[in-house]
Amino acid sequence: MSDWTVPELMAVEMSRHIAAGEVAIMGAVSSLPMAACRLAQETHAPGSWYVAGGSGAVNPHLSPIPESSCDERLLQADCVLPLPDVVMLEGRGDVFDVFFAGGLQIDAHGNTNLAQIGDVAHPKLKGPGGVGLPFLPLAGRVVVYTMSHDPRTLVEKVDFVSGPGFLGGPAEWLGKRRSGLGPALVVTPLCTMDFDPSTLRARLRSVHPGVTPARVQEMTGFDLRLAPHGEIRETMPPSYRDLEILRRIDSDGLLRRVA
Amino acid sequence: MDAVARFVPDGCRVVAVGGMHLHNNPMTLVFELIRQERHVARLVTSPSASLNADVLIGAGLVGEVATSYVGFEHLGLAPRFRSAAEAGSLKVLDLCEAAITHGLHAGASGMPFAVLPQGLELSDVWRANPECYRMIVDPFGQAPVLVVAAIRPDVAIIHAAEADEHGTAWLAGAHFTDRIMAMAARTVIVQVERVVSTESISRRPAGSTIPGFLVSAVVEAAGGCLPTSSHGNYPFDEEAIKEYLRMARTPEGFEEWISRSTAVELVATK
Repeated sequence: MSDWTVPELMAVEMSRHIAAGEVAIMGAVSSLPMAACRLAQETHAPGSWYVAGGSGAVNPHLSPIPESSCDERLLQADCVLPLPDVVMLEGRGDVFDVFFAGGLQIDAHGNTNLAQIGDVAHPKLKGPGGVGLPFLPLAGRVVVYTMSHDPRTLVEKVDFVSGPGFLGGPAEWLGKRRSGLGPALVVTPLCTMDFDPSTLRARLRSVHPGVTPARVQEMTGFDLRLAPHGEIRETMPPSYRDLEILRRIDSDGLLRRVA
Repeated sequence: MDAVARFVPDGCRVVAVGGMHLHNNPMTLVFELIRQERHVARLVTSPSASLNADVLIGAGLVGEVATSYVGFEHLGLAPRFRSAAEAGSLKVLDLCEAAITHGLHAGASGMPFAVLPQGLELSDVWRANPECYRMIVDPFGQAPVLVVAAIRPDVAIIHAAEADEHGTAWLAGAHFTDRIMAMAARTVIVQVERVVSTESISRRPAGSTIPGFLVSAVVEAAGGCLPTSSHGNYPFDEEAIKEYLRMARTPEGFEEWISRSTAVELVATK
């Protein structure tokens, strides 16, 4: 079972960020975070919770993992909240510990954009819209994920802030921040990034097996400020047990179909 | 269809369409709006619209859309929404999920606006949409707070699994914002998989029904959410959605798809 796929590695890497007893929430296109949360519940984070986006489902039992965040199968869950209740609780700022978020653009300070590329009035590409991303400053920690690690997605500055990260950097963040701690991780098919505590800029935390730091920099639209001879560790591959559990949950093999 | 002819005037100011992502889209009613060429000044959606909004926009019937998402999740972006927004022929009033949900709450409660949680002002969404959002001073404190105008649709078109002949409807599965949307609207048209007895509806749990006094018309349309899903009844038809996404890449392909889908007329019950 060493032949894990990149989506499987990403799900395992995301699951490592959830601690026992924590409550996570996610939005559209969330099969990766759903898998991550289930895996965390069955491994290192017993008693953790997750709310599957627009379905309002709390701890869906899901096997297989549905691709749509509002799939009826998600309602086989510990309980189901009406969506307006989920939206109310998102506003409290002390309920959700981890928010999984994506974006058409993700920038060096962890801000995300799902609105449009280019100008608001004359977009070059109109995205779908940000749904719940403006709630990010009220979630404990944000885990950003994307299946597209390229310079168009990972940019120095987003064209539009749908989901606030560390805004323009430390000064603005310290002046305006709310209850949340801000972005914690960016998980991509090439690497995992975290944020430098002094600059609040994304930095390389680990490269996935087989990927070089130079390759990550080449595919990233902002300067990762790699030290010329610095050591970057490799992302820990999934364990045998991780894969066994993940593949039981993912009985349709969604994460094994490499994009 | 009678219900649309009677309750949705051409040039309607605000129409809300129910369903979320690929689920519970009231496609029979949507297709009927297109068949009768009902122009809508402002279309309001749930926090996440998909086919319901994309086809109304593609048909050229929508002046502006107030939404927080129009797309097809893992299947891709919304082709007609994207094309119209990029061409500038569609005005998009970007909202956040909270603005739609709390705006509908305000509409359903007779309140002029809803106050949003602090923290939402950090996104760019409200600055780009001064028609819907304002910043005011918290009258109980000094801090600025973001408010959103109440959403009060003239007409809401939604899907429910069942309704009785008096219009009382039961939502199976997830409710999304459909119930609050019905409560906020002046006129509600519900499409259902089947009309059932009042006795059967009366056994449904509190909070899962819409009382008939809020409902102006019920349209029975078995399979009427297809190709989107109908919770409690059928899943979405992924192949049919993919076919739509392929065809709707061009205006011609969209026209062909839509003329095929709007060929059949249905009859209202209430």
